[in-house]
Amino acid sequence: MLAAGLLAVVSFVTFIGVATQFSATCSSRFTPSTPFPPLASNVHQAMILYWEWLKGIPSGRSFGNVCGAAVTQDLWQALGHTGALLGMTLVMVLVLALLFGVLAAARAGSWLDLAFRGFSYTAWAIPPFLLALVLQSGLIWLRTHDGFTFFPESGWPGSCSFGTFVCTPGSHAGIGYVGEVVRFLFVPALALSVAFVGLHSRYLRSSLLVALAAPYTTTARAKGLPERRVVLRHALRNSLGTFTSVLLLDFGAVVGAALAVDFVFRMNGIGLLFLGEIGALGSQSGDGPKFLDPYAVQGLLTVIAVLVAAASLLAELAVLWLDPRARPA
Amino acid sequence: MSAVAIETLAPRRSLLRVGLRRFARRPVALSALVVLLALFLVGALAHVIVGSSGDEIDLLHVKNGPSLDHLFGTDNVGRDVLKRTVYGIRTSELVALSAAGIATVVGLVAGLLAGYFGGWLDAVIMRIADLVTAYPAVVFTLAAFVYFRPVWPHTLIIVFSSFMWATVARVVRADVVRLRETEYVEAARALGASNARILARHLLPNVGGTILVAATSLVGLVVLVDATVEFFGFGIPQAVAPSLGNLVADTVKFKFGLASNSDIAAVQFGWWTWFFPGLVLVVILVCVNLVGDALDEALNPSSR
Repeated sequence: MLAAGLLAVVSFVTFIGVATQFSATCSSRFTPSTPFPPLASNVHQAMILYWEWLKGIPSGRSFGNVCGAAVTQDLWQALGHTGALLGMTLVMVLVLALLFGVLAAARAGSWLDLAFRGFSYTAWAIPPFLLALVLQSGLIWLRTHDGFTFFPESGWPGSCSFGTFVCTPGSHAGIGYVGEVVRFLFVPALALSVAFVGLHSRYLRSSLLVALAAPYTTTARAKGLPERRVVLRHALRNSLGTFTSVLLLDFGAVVGAALAVDFVFRMNGIGLLFLGEIGALGSQSGDGPKFLDPYAVQGLLTVIAVLVAAASLLAELAVLWLDPRARPA
Repeated sequence: MSAVAIETLAPRRSLLRVGLRRFARRPVALSALVVLLALFLVGALAHVIVGSSGDEIDLLHVKNGPSLDHLFGTDNVGRDVLKRTVYGIRTSELVALSAAGIATVVGLVAGLLAGYFGGWLDAVIMRIADLVTAYPAVVFTLAAFVYFRPVWPHTLIIVFSSFMWATVARVVRADVVRLRETEYVEAARALGASNARILARHLLPNVGGTILVAATSLVGLVVLVDATVEFFGFGIPQAVAPSLGNLVADTVKFKFGLASNSDIAAVQFGWWTWFFPGLVLVVILVCVNLVGDALDEALNPSSR
C-alpha cells in the first residue's frame, strides 16, 4: 500500500520533470531536429497532462510516444532482453554466492576461506562495466587468436532490425532459441554477477558464522548429526531469510549495473534504450536540441521504479516465507 | 560528587576511541587505509607530482604501449596515460569526498531529527528518503543530468549528495530510535537537559561509529556510481577534467543509437589506455571496502 503510494508520487514528480523539459515532436527519436517547445510550458499544465498519461496506462498508450506511435514495442522488447539478463544474473549470483558462502563458512580459517575472502573483496571492487570490457576484449582476443566464437562478443541472438529494438528468433525457434539466448547471455551475466557474488557470499559467510556459533547448532552437533546436515539444514536454513532479502534489496544496484553491461555488450536492453533516449540530448554539448519523447522517458523510468519496488516487496515476502519468526501471529 | 571528580576516577575512553584502537590492530585494514590515503594524496598533489597539466601531447609517441618514458603508455593523441590517471584520481577524489561528506552531514541531521522527535517529522523525512531512493543510483544520476548540462564536478557532487543522504539518514535514525529509550538519555532528560543538548552531547557521540562506517561506504559508492555514469559518457566531459571513469570510456568506441549484431563497444586503442585507470579504480574500491568492513567490525562488535 505504502509502496503503491510512493510509486504514484515518484511517477508524478518524474512526469512533472519530464514534461516540462522534453518536447513532443512525433519524429523519430534518432532524427536530429530543431528545438521544439517542451510538452508542458508550466507545472500546472504538466499536472493536467499527468492525468491524461495515467488514463493511458491500461491501454499501453502511455508507454508509446506522445503521438501514439509504437515505441511500446521497443520498450517491451528491451525489457524482455534486460529481464532475461537480470534473471540469469540472479540465478548465477544465488548459486555461486550460496556455494562460496557455505564453503567459506564451513571451512572458516582454512586456505579455502582465505582464498574466498580474497576473491570476494576483489570481485566486489571491480565495477561491472570494467569487468564487461575485460571479458569482451578477452572474447575478441580469443576469436582473433584461436578462432573461438562459441560465446559471441556482443549482440542478441536472431536478427535484430537496425533502428529498432525488435529482434526475431531467426533460424532458431522454440527450445533452440532459449539455448541461443543462454549462449549470448552467459558472458554478460557473468560480468554482472561477479561483483554481487563477492558481496553476498561475504554476507552469507558472516551470518552463517553467527548461526554456527549459536546454541542450536551445538545441540544439533551433540545429537550426532553429520556436519553437512548441521550446516545445510540447521545453520543455513536460519541464514537463508536474511540472505535472500538482502540480495533482493540490492536489486536496484543490479539494475544500474545491468545498464552498463547492456551498453558494453550491445544487447538492445533498457540500458541502450535509456541511453539512447537521454543520449539523444548530446552528452557533451550544452544546450542541444531536446527532441526526446516525454512519454517514452516517463514510461521507461516508471517501469524501472516499479521493478525496484517489486523487488523490495518480494524481499519482504521472501522473509515471511523463509523465516516463520517474521510471520504475524 | 562533582563532575570533575568523576572524570578523574576513570580514564576517558569513548566507544569510538576503543573501536578505533581495535581497528588499528588489524594489519590488512590499516595497510588498505595507508594505500587509500597515499592514492588520495597523489591525487590532491597532482600538479606537484606530474606537472601542471596532464594534457601535454607527445607527437612522437602516439598510441605507444608502456615504456620508461611513459610508464602507462600514451593515448590516441599522445597524452601520457599516467599523468591523466593521476589527474583522474584528483577528480574522482574531489567528487567522492565532497559528495560523501555533504551526504553524511545532511543524512546525520535528518536521521537525528527523524529518530529523536519521531511523529510527523519522522514520517516526512523518511518518506522523502524513500522518494529519492526509488530509482537505482545510476538511473537517478543519468536522469538528473538532463537538467544539469554541461556537467561540472560540483554538479556531480550536488546530484550524488541529493540522494545518498538517505542511506545515512536510515542507519542514523535506526540507532537514535534505539538510543532514545536508554537510561542515560532518560537520566539526562530528568536532569532537565534540553533536546538540543541531548542530541548534541548524548546521541551524537554515540552514533559516531555508525556515521564513520556509513561515510566510508558512501565514498566507495560515489566512486563506483561516478565511474559508471562517466563510462556512459554522461559525467564530466574529458575536456573539463579527466576522471577515472571517463578515461576508461575514452577508449570505447562511442556510438549512440541502436545496435546491430556486428556492433561492438569493444576497446579501440591499446589495452593500457583503459587498464591502468581501471586498475586504480579497482584498487581504490578494494581499499575503501576493506577499511569500511574493518571499521564496521571494530566499531560494532555485535554485528560481527
